[in-house]
Amino acid sequence: MNKYIAILLLAFSFPAILLGQEKGIPINISFFNESTAVPFTRFITTPIHPGIQLGTEFNYKVKEHSRLFQTANISYFYHNYLAQGIGLNTEFGYEYRLKFGLALQGLLGVGYMHTFATSDEFTFSNGQYIKKVDKGNSRFYPSLSLDLGYYLNKNKNSPKIFIRYQSWIEYPYSPGFIDIMSHVNIHIGTKIFI
Amino acid sequence: MKKISLFFLFLCLLTACTKGEDIKPESYNCNYNFNDLSQVNPNNLVYQSVLDDMTSKGVVGVAMSVYSSNGIWLGASGKADLHNNIDMKSCNITRVGSIVKMVTATVILKLQEEGKLNIDDKISNYLNGDNINKIKNAEKATIRQLMQHSSGINNYIHSLQFQTASLNNLVKEWNAHELLKYSYNESPYFEPDEDVRYSNTGYILLGLLIEKLEGKPLYQVFDENIFEPLGLINTQFAGKNPVPEGIVRGYVDLYSNLNVIESTYYSGWDYYTADGGLISNVYDMNVFFRALMNGEIINANSLNQMLTWKTPKEVEVDFFPISYGLGIFKIETPKGIAYMHSGNAIGYDANMFYFPSDNTTIVYASNSNYGKIEPLVSSKQAMEKIINKTKE
Repeated sequence: MNKYIAILLLAFSFPAILLGQEKGIPINISFFNESTAVPFTRFITTPIHPGIQLGTEFNYKVKEHSRLFQTANISYFYHNYLAQGIGLNTEFGYEYRLKFGLALQGLLGVGYMHTFATSDEFTFSNGQYIKKVDKGNSRFYPSLSLDLGYYLNKNKNSPKIFIRYQSWIEYPYSPGFIDIMSHVNIHIGTKIFI
Repeated sequence: MKKISLFFLFLCLLTACTKGEDIKPESYNCNYNFNDLSQVNPNNLVYQSVLDDMTSKGVVGVAMSVYSSNGIWLGASGKADLHNNIDMKSCNITRVGSIVKMVTATVILKLQEEGKLNIDDKISNYLNGDNINKIKNAEKATIRQLMQHSSGINNYIHSLQFQTASLNNLVKEWNAHELLKYSYNESPYFEPDEDVRYSNTGYILLGLLIEKLEGKPLYQVFDENIFEPLGLINTQFAGKNPVPEGIVRGYVDLYSNLNVIESTYYSGWDYYTADGGLISNVYDMNVFFRALMNGEIINANSLNQMLTWKTPKEVEVDFFPISYGLGIFKIETPKGIAYMHSGNAIGYDANMFYFPSDNTTIVYASNSNYGKIEPLVSSKQAMEKIINKTKE
């Protein structure tokens, strides 16, 4: 599995190199594997439940080796048989950049998610179940992420490739049964500037 | 143009959902090989109203059998399959989950009668390896303690890691060793024999014991020892065929809003281990329970051992006063003492009661659970309502 992660990181570095030169607005794009899991107990899980996240960020404070910043993201995941969801979130982040290009990040986020069933849903109405269009369910989703990245050069606007461990909570989940559901997303992504 | 394409791609993703399986109505056909006199039972309307009341409030489908001085009554209400709009019939087969623990305990007692084990032996006399060494209390627990839930062994089903892992792969079919790993190195609830607390892990070990002694898969042992001799033609262990033709579809109200999705294939943790996975109908389960209580499967001494009770130290406030036997429970209901067992799977729920005072036997099974449906099928109030309406 680690071999595949390395290949993906390499693949991600090419658009970063091509698009990341001398531009201004940072764009983070990542593909992730969503799972229902207890945080920090598993890293890679199967089957793969694919997701994609697109976002940007702006800095509050920048120092030589660190910065405080805010992100804004939109994401989508498809968990086979269980749910699919589209989410909007923002994260407060801290990054520490090491001399040889490596960077560590911690991100604390809050967001709104709308989830939908992945199979036919039947609604109880007037004493019987009928098939209805799924209007989905509203969710609050706080998150905590740890991120290991690599800046491709020393420039301020250097493109970056990263791998991110994102732990998030889905609330409410199933009131009275499972009130909160815990998820883990493993992202592989890149930051480019446009 | 690109924007339009992206919009349609997004729309496709959000509407990407699995459609229900088209199943021919004939697949659900079933009959009894006797003259069903339920329609002329003097309590027919009362019993039917109990089931209709449940489905009018959101239970997808429910079937029930009541054996009393008036003979056996069989009935059903609601749907066996929503996508194909199939009515529930009392003869339809469904998942009855943990009720298999009563079958497991019965087989163990039969093996004792055959001299193949003694239930006061330690399970570690028969099993070894990680499943004994890494499960706390397994080294010292006896077979009887496992049967009575008095071993103190941790219940894997309460592990958050197991629960999230099973949701992560809803169609995974788990084997015994994969499930037992969730009990490895977990603290026991108490020292063996100090108290009683329900443990699925203990029953998985009992299933491994049966398979080791008999040298056959569990489904075959159950078939040969219980189901075939009693003529239970609609009963099988899921390990034989996890989703047999004609099984009613299961539904879950996962988000507690009476919007249900199908879950027929989502109980894979329940297929191959002796803590769950029974498939049957309400008639067969009624026959089994009465045969067991009437001494037709195990002898009087074994039955006495099965019906030797231990009461938990902590009283469960939301349930009847309860005592634990060997694969069976005793509860104090408003209509007197009943022996019982419950079972559920994802989208399925079943309960059966036997009243020793007059042999009244009630079995009901629903093909829906969780969320707002749960209190309608498996709460103390739901059971009390059914008992009050059906027990004379």
